Amino acid sequence: MITTRRFLTTLTAVTCILGGTLTVQAQSRVSIGVTETIETHNPYGDSVSLQYGIYSEVTGPFCTYSYAKGDFEGRLAERWKVENPTTWIFFLSKNYKFNDGTTVTADDVVHSLMNRVIGDPQSKQKASVAPSIVKAEALDKFTVKVTTDKPTAPLLSFLCDRLIVTSKAAFDKYGRDAADREHMMGGGPYQLKELIPGQRLVLQKRPDHPDAKKHPNAPDEVIYRIMREPEQRVTAFLNDEIQIAQFIPPHMRQRIEKNPKLRIAPVDSVEIMFLAMQPKPPFDKKEVRQAVCHAINRDQIIATLLEGFASRLDGPIGPGQYGYDPNLKPKMNYDPEQSKKLLAQAGYANGVDVELQTPVGRYTLDKQLTEAMIPMLNAAGFRARLLTPEWATLWANVQKGTVPFYYMGRGSVQDPSAALHQYFHTGETPRIGYSNPKLDELLDKEQQEFDTKKRRQYLSQAMSILTDDAPACFLWRHKLLWGLNSRIDYKPLPDARIYAIDMAVKK
Amino acid sequence: MTSYLFQRLAGTLPVLLLISFLVFSLIHAAPGDPTLLLLGEETNAAEIAKAKERWGLDQPLYVQYLKFVRAAAAGDFGKSFKYAEPVINVIKTRLPATIELAVFAIIIASLLAIPLGVWAGAKPNSWIDNLGTTFGLFGISMPSFWLAIMLILLLAGVLNLLPTSGRSTYGIAGPEQTGFYLFDSIMQKNWSAVWDGLTHIFLPALALGMNMLGILMRVTRSSILEVMNEDYIQTARAKGLREKNVVWRHVTSNALIPVITVVGLELGTLLSGSIIVETVFAWPGSGSLLITALNARDYPLVTGIVMTYTLAFVAINLIIDGLYAVVDPRIRY
Repeated sequence: MITTRRFLTTLTAVTCILGGTLTVQAQSRVSIGVTETIETHNPYGDSVSLQYGIYSEVTGPFCTYSYAKGDFEGRLAERWKVENPTTWIFFLSKNYKFNDGTTVTADDVVHSLMNRVIGDPQSKQKASVAPSIVKAEALDKFTVKVTTDKPTAPLLSFLCDRLIVTSKAAFDKYGRDAADREHMMGGGPYQLKELIPGQRLVLQKRPDHPDAKKHPNAPDEVIYRIMREPEQRVTAFLNDEIQIAQFIPPHMRQRIEKNPKLRIAPVDSVEIMFLAMQPKPPFDKKEVRQAVCHAINRDQIIATLLEGFASRLDGPIGPGQYGYDPNLKPKMNYDPEQSKKLLAQAGYANGVDVELQTPVGRYTLDKQLTEAMIPMLNAAGFRARLLTPEWATLWANVQKGTVPFYYMGRGSVQDPSAALHQYFHTGETPRIGYSNPKLDELLDKEQQEFDTKKRRQYLSQAMSILTDDAPACFLWRHKLLWGLNSRIDYKPLPDARIYAIDMAVKK
Repeated sequence: MTSYLFQRLAGTLPVLLLISFLVFSLIHAAPGDPTLLLLGEETNAAEIAKAKERWGLDQPLYVQYLKFVRAAAAGDFGKSFKYAEPVINVIKTRLPATIELAVFAIIIASLLAIPLGVWAGAKPNSWIDNLGTTFGLFGISMPSFWLAIMLILLLAGVLNLLPTSGRSTYGIAGPEQTGFYLFDSIMQKNWSAVWDGLTHIFLPALALGMNMLGILMRVTRSSILEVMNEDYIQTARAKGLREKNVVWRHVTSNALIPVITVVGLELGTLLSGSIIVETVFAWPGSGSLLITALNARDYPLVTGIVMTYTLAFVAINLIIDGLYAVVDPRIRY
């Protein structure tokens, strides 16, 4: 009897102590409603912004773009140097360790680049992460030499926040599929805890990680919940089911602003929105293209439909993006009379038929915005019609070069080089099919120029030609609206990446 | 019975072949190219060519189809472009969620529709008949995507009673065994996970089952009305049975045959309806998987899912035929 009582007393005491300890060490958890989905355990098996961001957090990131500095900064790759125009040397931090305690080394980086990103047939990231990389080799345990097939000054824009570095040892030991699914090793401040494709992904903080030590208030667990419907994200956010809601449509923000515990954080997106025009009749004439640009009242659309949640673009890019030139000329201001004159000069004094194609539901209010453009175009002398094909159809046709006039966005434009090449350099892609030898020369030069000042000059000159010659009318960058619970201190990034380590949960 | 079963199974083969041909042709005829959709914004011609070769898209369409049919006959729908895994494995991981949802939708629809239909049929033109008919009309008329949003707004938003989406709350469930979340939780006696699962499944199941509810209610009502006028019902009444017993024992059991047929047919509709509902509620089933596969033009996965649905539909119809014999002893095969 005495023994039993003593046992119960001890048990109660232990429970109290444990209970107390648990209270002190309460785990902080943040749930985020996101619009994209992670569908595969293979970190290289998809090429979407959210996946790059999450896996970069799990495995590094290799390096990152600082919007505050307007430049790239080191993480796993502490620093780098350009040995010659086709050779880069990356120096790795010695502090990054995989979940099993082994150090992240140059062999892991080489393995990830050459065997996973480039060599693995399941990879869908070669073109986005390593388009010009032909070789990567370990010079020593913490130094990697990367060779490109042509000078690639914007190489960092491909590698930073995108290169996912996974463990070579785990791959060799378990094989690809088991290593990804059951033994996901990363050197980043968070580790993958659970992935249910189509539903959620859970990350858990590694308290021993150097970045985690620097950010003690970063959440212990982060749950990414897939919520594609805006109504669903807003309702879940209002109910505190999620504490961060990605991409709140402007017309829903007032419901959130009414709640004193919630706030809206707008951030300029790095996705540039534009109207692309293929140089085929009637857009083969520069005057017609310029007429389109003068016909669209961007300020009015931004002030009304977008409720001010967009920044007008007076060139391909805006503030915070690499190579932005505030003095870029010319500016395509709203001037319907000028549009009419330009159309008359082009031989279309009696108007011309055009069909504008737009995706529906892919970009903020895409259909509504383009609907508003139709009367503007008509008032300037066009006879415009709006077509709304399904996204997969439109995108395939754009990539084949069979859509003469379309509304489109280009995301992840921290450094505009890749986007400008992709859409405007002769022969790169048929998306617009534009060709201008002077522009090609400048774009080639900027890609081979490692002197930052000179490269910015080349970019500025190229963007000036583009604005004047108008193969595209650059419209705006949306302000992305994030819903944030007041318990969370976080500054959302202009791209779709989410780094939980940058969050602080208020105690 | 055995010969009947063989006959029916033999009859399904041309159906499956025709469906496979139609799906294969339609998905390939649809504009859009999986290589352009899956390889990312910055892809180039060389990468596209490699992917086409890897996925067999560089071969003539009839060769691709014949290869597909040969493999499918052995139960292999090929490898998903997006997931880089055998299609059958991808479907296996997502199908239990859809089945669980469909079963709950049927349960909700049947529990509400059959009693309502019986009451309405037993007392035609009464207030309960009017109420039931209006409710049935409401169920049939409401598009599931609209109803889903309204349910989220009301029950999750305004009343804050239920979660907005997903299948479970993170950290509650035990290890997955069968893929059926509720079944696994019951087997593990994890009652908090069972409750969590029920709260998550209620809204999507209601949104999915509402249309079926309306149809079932109306079919039950008209079937009851029909049986109520049969001679044997008059006989039962003449024997002095209480009206309650007449309705529930004699009328309802005889009126159930068309109801069972409708349940079977509607099960197929539920599978297709789940495509929208799963997307709205972020339900990780085969319906939302089909949307992902369609958006990516993942030909093998789209074909695999549609073939699975077709097989399910055929199997359900066979089961329903079998159930007739159980409900009505006069029916023998």
